Amino acid sequence: MALTAGSGGRTARSWAWVGIVPFLAFALLFLILPTMQIVVGAFRNPEGAFTLQNIANLFTPAILGSFWISIRISFASAFLGCVIGFGVAWAVTLGELPRWLRGPVMTFSGVASNFAGVPLAFAFLATLGRVGLVTVLLRDWFGINLFALGFNLLSFWGLTLTYLFFQIPLMILIITPALDGLKREWREAAEILGASPFQYWRMVALPILWPTLLGTLALLFANAFGAVATAYALTGSSLTIVPILLFAQIRGDVLGDPHLGYALAFGMIVVTGVGNALYIWMRTRAERWVK
Amino acid sequence: MRLQHFWAWLSLAIGMVYFFLPLIATFEFSLRMRRGVYSFDAYRVVLADPNFQATFGYSVAMALLTIVMGVVLVVPTAYWVRLKLPRWRPVIEFITLLPLVIPAIVIVFGYIRLYNTSSMLPLTGTATGTNFLLLVGYTVLALPYMYRAVDTGLRAIDIATLTEAAQSLGAGWTTILVRVILPNVLVAVLSGAFLTFAIVIGEFTMAALLNRPAFGPYLQVLGANRAYEPAALAVIAFGITWACMGLIQLVTRLQKHTSARR
Amino acid sequence: MPFLEIVHLDKHYGANHVVRDFNLAIDKGEFVSFLGPSGCGKTTTLRMVAGFEFPDTGSIRIDGKDVVDLKPNQRNIGMVFQAYALFPNMTVAQNVAFGLRIAGMARADSDRRVAEMLTMIGLPDLGARYPFQLSGGQQQRVALARALAPRPKVLLLDEPLSALDAKIRISLRDEIRAIQKELGITTIYVTHDQEEALSMSDRIVVMNQGVAEQVGDPFTIYTRPATRFVATFVGTLNGLDARVLDAAAGTVEIEGQTVTLGRPLTAAGGGSVGLSVRPEALALGPGLASLSGRVEDVSFHGPVVRLKISVGGQRLALDTFNTSAFRPPAVGETVTIGFDPADALVA
Repeated sequence: MALTAGSGGRTARSWAWVGIVPFLAFALLFLILPTMQIVVGAFRNPEGAFTLQNIANLFTPAILGSFWISIRISFASAFLGCVIGFGVAWAVTLGELPRWLRGPVMTFSGVASNFAGVPLAFAFLATLGRVGLVTVLLRDWFGINLFALGFNLLSFWGLTLTYLFFQIPLMILIITPALDGLKREWREAAEILGASPFQYWRMVALPILWPTLLGTLALLFANAFGAVATAYALTGSSLTIVPILLFAQIRGDVLGDPHLGYALAFGMIVVTGVGNALYIWMRTRAERWVK
Repeated sequence: MRLQHFWAWLSLAIGMVYFFLPLIATFEFSLRMRRGVYSFDAYRVVLADPNFQATFGYSVAMALLTIVMGVVLVVPTAYWVRLKLPRWRPVIEFITLLPLVIPAIVIVFGYIRLYNTSSMLPLTGTATGTNFLLLVGYTVLALPYMYRAVDTGLRAIDIATLTEAAQSLGAGWTTILVRVILPNVLVAVLSGAFLTFAIVIGEFTMAALLNRPAFGPYLQVLGANRAYEPAALAVIAFGITWACMGLIQLVTRLQKHTSARR
Repeated sequence: MPFLEIVHLDKHYGANHVVRDFNLAIDKGEFVSFLGPSGCGKTTTLRMVAGFEFPDTGSIRIDGKDVVDLKPNQRNIGMVFQAYALFPNMTVAQNVAFGLRIAGMARADSDRRVAEMLTMIGLPDLGARYPFQLSGGQQQRVALARALAPRPKVLLLDEPLSALDAKIRISLRDEIRAIQKELGITTIYVTHDQEEALSMSDRIVVMNQGVAEQVGDPFTIYTRPATRFVATFVGTLNGLDARVLDAAAGTVEIEGQTVTLGRPLTAAGGGSVGLSVRPEALALGPGLASLSGRVEDVSFHGPVVRLKISVGGQRLALDTFNTSAFRPPAVGETVTIGFDPADALVA
């Protein structure tokens, strides 16, 4: 542990905290207080007294249904994102594809993971919408009418598919360093001790990766749960996931009770908070083993 | 390892199809504006649209201001924490991770409730005030990325020794920050800046709920009303994001060539 | 009948000829070291024996059977890696038991064997610990136990001590050798540290650029190096330039002084030769062959005193034991250096 340069005199040290006051003030005013406002507001009634009624009011079929759809979409896109992202990341690191492929894949993942919101919705509309490229091609080349088969981009699976566009790259970006961390010697040691590749993965590699995989699943879940723009652009207000509901509520109090908005927002924070906490917990566990 | 090779290529192929198809489809769609023939009409219309120019200009300006605010806020803080207050590091890092946990919609909801016309800081009452609120919101959104980039950059240089050297030559804190520290973390700052730019340009939720004429809401309105222009815009947006990431790569590779290896 | 035979092993990496026609026969229970600088092909050869690399041509026979076409997990070989390679998600006991589990050994039997191995490496109470809780030396011992638990036919070690502190290296060195002797297991040990190779091995293979320059026991390698590379790589060597006076009688002239080597030289009279002799083969005082020089430097290396002596324009290092009776000469003093001509390599 190196000695820091901050030991310049007793008085100098006791004033050092002044240096981070601007940041703390900023964080307080524009991050913490607004969030606290919401959290506290979730437990206040219009008169200002403490109440659990807002939270209770969340348990209506409409709102619970909204949460349930959100959870399902978030979980579906997170799970599929993990599986497919793992496949691609594995292909590029351990799958012994040409070295030069890795750089572009990583860069593209960086781009795609930020390509959310309205442009992404347009892109998928142009692909799988009613006059989208793939829809038209499938009809003209293969005679498959997607929409007659019941597919609709503006639906659960449509949104999930769209979300995958930034979930998969996020998974690739996070899991690639973990895959890099699988030392070649572990595989070789397992092999020389008699293990088949399957046994190596089952007994060594997957157990080592497990915390990272689970944690990233949680992160992807939280990521999808909080996403607004893509869903809004794609489905308007027709698919009532929680962020859309909250959006409409903020815009125009569609729920008829301003404090319900607080409760909704609080519910969102709880879900995303739990997801992120899980991710961090899992990551610290993973890092403990593999120094 | 034949079988492994097959699976590897298959995974990559599936990935590539999934990712390239929408982009190709969008591009193809954007060329379809003129009936029967491919043309760049959609792009021409979009780029000539005064609304596009206004909102895009607004968002670009916002992005640049956000970068400035982010740098002014993050660089001195990250530096100071590393140098003098190492015990505060976990706290600061936790704060910078909060924007990733708390969804943007919740944050902007908080702003609307906290800073409306009947509060101590009636920021939403005026256009300037709301602009400021949006700027601050963007800074908060970019905070995790900016802080992590700058912190990584600071970790690579020995700030304690540099500071002592500068102090022994008579430099004050501002001089040290501006003329010693900042140039050495410029690459990291640039990475954070490009990422911030990409985030701000496409941002929708905060701008829409604060009713600001930004690019994100403009995109959404256009998408509800027009067919081909949104596709052209999506291509442009993707191009901009790609350019930002490419610049980050470029800048990072430049650093690898110029910084000495320990 | 040798236990491990490597016959005409050859390998290219693209245009790089990394192992050239390598041949070696190792008896059962022998400890052989591959010694050489980085890139000499020692690790590649070891990995070919293990099965992680494939030779272009050649065969590797263990106990009479050619294993070149077998996968690493079919060869019944134990290996210890430089980076320990303990599985981080398993305890020490689980690591050691890994090979036994794969082989399908019953739980009770494998537990007994694991306890046996842990006692052998001197860590009987650490079974429940995880690798990250152990020191480097402890981890490497566990790695050794893990490799030996399934009773392999051959033990391979790839620079196992390079990542450890000097003191631990020396104590582990003795431990590894003791265990190897006790088990009588045929062993190949790759290292770039000559002290390790010299002190541990029954035989050493000195390698350079894919070629085995010399194979022999440590004493011969050190005192009778076969090539210039071996002479300079193993131990320190003084190099002197001399001019041949009489090739048949083996008389040369060094800086105006005549030295008789007593054996015929291949170089013609008047031509130049290089003379190489070890610092400890030189002594203060006249000998069978003598040179006169001036002391330039005296340095103490613990048990050894090293004198730097100039003979005309050339420099020599002379090592002598630092006994209580020894009186080191002063800088600037003129001294006589004596040596046995048989200890001088001519190149």
